[in-house]
Amino acid sequence: MTAARGHVAIEGVEIRFGAGRRTTVALASTDMVLRPGTFTALVGPSGCGKSTLLNAVGGFTAPTAGRIVIDGVEVAGPDPEVGVVFQAYGLFPWFTALGNVKFALKRLDLGRAELDKRALHCLAEVGLGGHAHHFPAQLSGGMRQRVAIARTLAGEPKVLLMDEPFGALDAQTRFSMHELLLRVWGVHGATVLFVTHDVDEALLLADTVHVMSAGPGRVIRSYTVDVPRPRSAARFDAALVDIRAEILDLLRPPPIPADAA
Amino acid sequence: MAVSGDARPAPRPRTRGAVYPALFRHARAPALALGRVLLSLGIVGAVWAAVSASGVFPDIIFPSPGSVWDAARELYDDRLLLPDLGISMGRAATGFALGAGLGVGVGLLTGRTRVFRALFNPFLTLLRPIPAIALVPVAIVWFGIGEGSKYFVIAYTVFLTVWFNTHNGMQYVPEVYIRASRSLGASRTREFCAVVVPAAAPHIVAGIRLGVALAFLSLVAAELTGASSGLGYRLQEARQYIRTDRMFAILIELGLVGALIDLVVGAVARRIVHWEGV
Repeated sequence: MTAARGHVAIEGVEIRFGAGRRTTVALASTDMVLRPGTFTALVGPSGCGKSTLLNAVGGFTAPTAGRIVIDGVEVAGPDPEVGVVFQAYGLFPWFTALGNVKFALKRLDLGRAELDKRALHCLAEVGLGGHAHHFPAQLSGGMRQRVAIARTLAGEPKVLLMDEPFGALDAQTRFSMHELLLRVWGVHGATVLFVTHDVDEALLLADTVHVMSAGPGRVIRSYTVDVPRPRSAARFDAALVDIRAEILDLLRPPPIPADAA
Repeated sequence: MAVSGDARPAPRPRTRGAVYPALFRHARAPALALGRVLLSLGIVGAVWAAVSASGVFPDIIFPSPGSVWDAARELYDDRLLLPDLGISMGRAATGFALGAGLGVGVGLLTGRTRVFRALFNPFLTLLRPIPAIALVPVAIVWFGIGEGSKYFVIAYTVFLTVWFNTHNGMQYVPEVYIRASRSLGASRTREFCAVVVPAAAPHIVAGIRLGVALAFLSLVAAELTGASSGLGYRLQEARQYIRTDRMFAILIELGLVGALIDLVVGAVARRIVHWEGV
């Protein structure tokens, strides 16, 4: 285990916002281990603390209690070893697709030609080699997220955090993004933590699915999905159908009562 | 924000809206745009000519287009029209450069550094409501009626506007850009130059564009009260001789030059912050 790349240990992490009487518990004490090279999904309604937990692993939010340890080192802030794909607007609109990827490669101290070559290779990997000189505003939503994935993977992170990365995309685009993500993940093999509110998406992609609930945010149940990939939402096998039904039941909100007449 | 599938056929052409800003904003083709501008000006001119021809107002109060044209020719022949314009534009440009340079610089500092923010902001916020024209008497005492007082008044006005916009732009850099930059391993210097400043650029550019317009306004304010050359002075001189025709000629000159400058600045601004779909 010591030599592994991308071992994430979440140890008694609790996150509160605000101070004094206005404190809200965004995430109740949580323990979780992400084994190297695994794909973990967090599903749950808004306010369940799934993005809060992801932001803590990314080093954007400091835990109020507990700690997060990646390969033996406690997370103290954002780190290029921990790549993040944001829900939207994470690309810099003033750079081209190529410029965005090059931004991630700058810290590697490559020569100019090598920098261009590597950046182009990263874009080609997500099928956007022909769009290197387009600005984000000239690309569709799906293409933008592909550039974002290429940019994040360019830095060869050992942990990949994805915060509802496909939430704003239509169903068809989302479907092809899943295939693309699994493909590049197969090549790079980072430890993935994937936040979504879409149960099917979680079941299609992840090895482990943690179901979270709000008030306070916490993990209420965890599932291991050992169905081989690629999986299909249209033809989920029996095991997945059962898990899916259970999760949907867990997440079902209380019925909304009609207003008294 | 259109978020659709991958099927968007062709990238949006880069030049859309970049070439014919401000005056022509609502038109698609330049010829059509020019036509509309000429139509609008033609109608105003016709009404003007009709009112002055009706004889309701004496020509000395409300001069006809013809006499304004003659006055303009006269000013031109006396070698006053263009030299005055040159002197005034020189003052505006110098004052603008001083004010805008300082405004961007201080705005970059106060926008990102807590110490500078605490040091400068309360004072600058107090200065903001003071109109430039109220500073003219002080400027004259400090710098005399020479060029110094003009530069001071113009630079002061431009500085406050450019600072305010730059500062605000720096304050509202979306958090996601900072997070992306840091998680991609960028140093603080690179984060500042390649992320924070470009993210604030639309605000900075908007401030500069406003600053250009304000440089023009405060220029005339400064020249009206204590100058011996320039368009503002020439206006004041025309008042002493009740040369309304000359005043109109100078006002039209100011309007034309101002609109032309705004057109150019607007086009350049769109080039600089091309990713802001205006």
